[in-house]
Parts: sequence; C-alpha cells; structure tokens
Amino acid sequence: MIKKLRQQFADSVTDIGKKDKNLIVLVSDISHEILKPFAKACPGRYYNLGICEQAIVNMAAGLKKVGFYPVLHTIAPFLIERCYEQIKLDFGYQNLGVNLVSVGGTYDYSKLGCSHHCYSDFALMNQFSNCNIIVPGSALEFKILFKSIYKKNKINYFRLTENPHQVLIKSTDIRFGRGIKIKKGNSLTLVAVGSKLKEAIQAYNYFASKKKYIEVLYYHTLKPFDKDLLRSSVKKNKRLLVIEEFSKKGGFFSECLNATKDIKNVFYENIGIDSFVQDYGTYDQLNSRTGLDLDSLKKKIFKIIK
Amino acid sequence: MSVLNKDLRQRIVDIIINSKEGHIPSAFSVVDIINYLYEKKIKLPKKNNWNKRDYFFLSKGHGCAALYVVLNKFKILSDKDLNSYGNFGSKLGGHPDMTKIFGVEASTGSLGHGLPTAVGVALGLKIKNNNNKVYCLIGDGECHEGSIWEAANLASNLHLNNLICFLDWNKSAQKLLKIENLKKKWEAFGWKSSIADGHSEKSLDKCFIKNKETTDRPRIIICKNIKGKGVSFIEDNPVWHHKIPNNEEYKIIKKELTL
Repeated sequence: MIKKLRQQFADSVTDIGKKDKNLIVLVSDISHEILKPFAKACPGRYYNLGICEQAIVNMAAGLKKVGFYPVLHTIAPFLIERCYEQIKLDFGYQNLGVNLVSVGGTYDYSKLGCSHHCYSDFALMNQFSNCNIIVPGSALEFKILFKSIYKKNKINYFRLTENPHQVLIKSTDIRFGRGIKIKKGNSLTLVAVGSKLKEAIQAYNYFASKKKYIEVLYYHTLKPFDKDLLRSSVKKNKRLLVIEEFSKKGGFFSECLNATKDIKNVFYENIGIDSFVQDYGTYDQLNSRTGLDLDSLKKKIFKIIK
Repeated sequence: MSVLNKDLRQRIVDIIINSKEGHIPSAFSVVDIINYLYEKKIKLPKKNNWNKRDYFFLSKGHGCAALYVVLNKFKILSDKDLNSYGNFGSKLGGHPDMTKIFGVEASTGSLGHGLPTAVGVALGLKIKNNNNKVYCLIGDGECHEGSIWEAANLASNLHLNNLICFLDWNKSAQKLLKIENLKKKWEAFGWKSSIADGHSEKSLDKCFIKNKETTDRPRIIICKNIKGKGVSFIEDNPVWHHKIPNNEEYKIIKKELTL
C-alpha cells in the first residue's frame, strides 16, 4: 500500500518533534486526526488556529523570532495565494525561515472547484531568492527532504500531492537540490515534476515497447534547480518536453528554458495548465481536460519524436 | 495645552524635511507613547543578552520617524544613522526594515502585519517560559484590516497576558470608514481594555495601574491621540498626512516646538 504524503508529513514532524524542542506546528483547520500523535508527543507545540491563515503566517514569523522552527500546514490556495503578502514581507523581506507545507495543490481537491485549486504557487514562490521549493512525489521523498532542510533559515515550501507517482526510487538517490535521471534515452529529454513522474514512466514504457527511448529526468526539488542534470541531457538529445502541474505562466518550464537557452537547435515543448480549470470531477478527469493525462502526453511525445 | 517631547518632535521634522519623505502627523501622534515605553516599560539588556529584551512592534510602520528618534535617544541608533534617514544607502527609510536596523522587530509598512507577528512572539515566549513582555502599537486606521481582528481573536484564545497593545486612536480613520466603539470591540474579542491620553505620561501611568496584567488575557490601551499633536496647523489636518513643510512652514513649526 502506498503511503500518503500527508501521513508521512504527520509522521515526520512527530519523529523530529520528539527530538527537536523547537519544532512547532500550526495548522489551519486541517489534518487534525493524523497530527494527534504529534500533539501528544510534543505538548504545547501543536496549534490548530482555525481559519485565519493570514494572521497565522504572521504568527509563524513571530515564533521564528524567538527561536522556533515553525511548520505551517493548510490547503495550498489559502496558504500561498491568500497569504502571499504575509509570506513576501514576513519571510522574504525579513529573511526569516519557515516551513510551509501545503496539500491540495493543482486540483487535488478536484470536486471542490476553483476556490480550492492552486497552480500559480510555483511562480509565486519562485520570486523569493531565499526560498526552497519541494514537490515530493512520494512519502519517502518528503521524509528525506523535510528532515534535511527544515532547520534551514529559508522559506521551505513543501507541496504535498494526493497523487503519488508510485515509482520506486532508492533513498540514496533522493537528495535535496538534485534531480534524478530515472530512465536513459536519446530521442527526447522528458522532465517530470513531482507526481507527473507516474505518467512519464508510463509514457516511457509505451515508447520503449516500440524501441523508442526517451530520457526521463525527475525533479522533486525545483528550487534550487539542478541545472547541470538538465543541460547535459538537453545537449545530447536536443529535444525537451516538460510536464508539470503548474501554470504555464511562470512555471518550471520557464526555468528549464532559461537554463538551456544557450544550447543551439533545441526543440522545446511543455505541458502545464493554461488557465482556470472550472470543472468538477475526478483528478484524472481534470487531467484529461488540461492535457496532463497519459494519452495527451503520449500524443505530444509522438509528435516530437516521429 | 502642554506638549511633551518637543525635542523629539523637532528631530522628527528635521529628518523628514532633510529627506523630503515621511509622515509627520502620524509620528507626532505616537511619539509620546513610544518614548514612554522605552523610558519606563521596555527592558533593554545589553546586546550580548538581547534575547532577554522586551519586544516592541510598531505595527503602523509609517509612524517610524517617531521610533527612529526614540531609538536614537536611547543610543540604539547613532546620530549618523538618524541623519541619513531616507538617503540612498541609509538603514532608515519611510518604513522600518528589521534586517537593517538593530532594535526594530519587524519590517512594517503594509498595515495589519505587526500585531499578528507580536502574537507569535508572545506565544513563543510563553511556550519557552520567558517573562519578557511584548508591546505593540497599532493605528485606528489599521483596525480596518481584517488581520488585526484575526490576531485579536488569536491572542485572547491563546491567553497571551504578556501582550500589551496600544491603539493610536487619533480618529483619522474615522474620516474614511467609521470604526466606532473600539473599547467594546476589543473587549468583545476577549481583551482587557482601557482608555488613556496617549500624550500624557500621567494618564499612561494611571492606565498601567488600572489595567493590570491579568492571568489569561491580553491588554489594550486605547490612546486618545491627536494626529499631528504639537503643531497647531498640522493637528488633525488631513492635508498634512504625507506633506513636507516648506521653509515658511518649517519656521512656524520650529517656533511652536521651542515655545
């Protein structure tokens, strides 16, 4: 059974909180049940502060000032988009550290509509030079990456997916700030971000059965960006496709373009979110609407490498 | 009517005229409270023991010229720093930057941020069983911001009796959007509240005696202030909110502040 990232988040803060008396968790009316072990193990360091996200973000800055490592947890649009000014001023401008842990990125809450969707978070958080952006696609990745950076005096943004990629990655390959070459190939460099590794591997298998090999690069850490891995692959393959669950406006593809713009004769393509997704339905149904599903990915790859 | 701290008001005008930037009336409205706190209430240990300090948050950051002159008075800011206010390369600008100024707790300017940050500090100090106090000064216009009321609700729910807020009730916000019965409003949010004359040490002293620390509630002192207090033609005159005096006006200001 695949472990949910949200459960891993609860387990990680509990394990770390037992040893580190300065880890403190603030939530905005979410994940109460799974955080009960943390509340029990770390008395006085768990606060469900209701539905006032802006003030909670400010409060975290205050807690940081007196020596805590604050961890804020709620739904992505309310944590990042609603509280953007608080994040900008409290942690960007004031250069204070915080751990922001969201759920419900993109349209993980697919049936709840636009108010609960969030795909601009990468573009927004990428504005801060003191920000780490982590989009783990598996519980193991979160476990390793959270532990390795939660104390860093940075804005550590962890975006937890409800749709893990289910690809087995060795723990020794999971390192903060490093991409991973999952599959070798020479017809195309396919960059998969977070949960999209699932579709990327399925697409790889499909084309491999036809003796076409695409190179799959996986990124769980988007900032800092492991440019070297991308550049060496793009130099070799001269074709780049990025699949990400972020807005195309200022998404990770923009970073990939910037990182490789000096390499000549490269064909670029990307799959991301064009505009508001005003549909209800399952996560997979919304993927088919936005083109983030396997069929759309295969068609795109076919056009590039045919 | 007597005016306290004419020397500080003079310094405020001088640095603002020199840089041609600043909010004189807002600074005049709060300077007596800030001076009172640093003179009588705020514990300021030596730098090597700085975490033992009391905290002061100027949530209404546009009144920062008042904070700068008080920090200068208490030797936290040098004359050189103060005189560089607003200049390129200076630590001091029209809103305070905590990354540049030792002694400033938050980079305020956008209203509604300082109080909730002070709530976080107050909570953190209580968790760590530290007895330091947290003071925060907000404006009545700032009370238009929803985040102020989020913070008010959080502070009382968290029983932050180490938090003392001052409200600069100069009623300038009243002209834009009525926000009345502030005492009742804060009490409804679970705070212990009282009203003082924010330009009178005696009144503030009395208020501290009357509005004693509770075991479980934050306190607010709502200060009946006058925006621009100390200079007749600036007092309660909205035109002056962000205006820089010309030479003639400066002469009159100087005269009034030296009487």
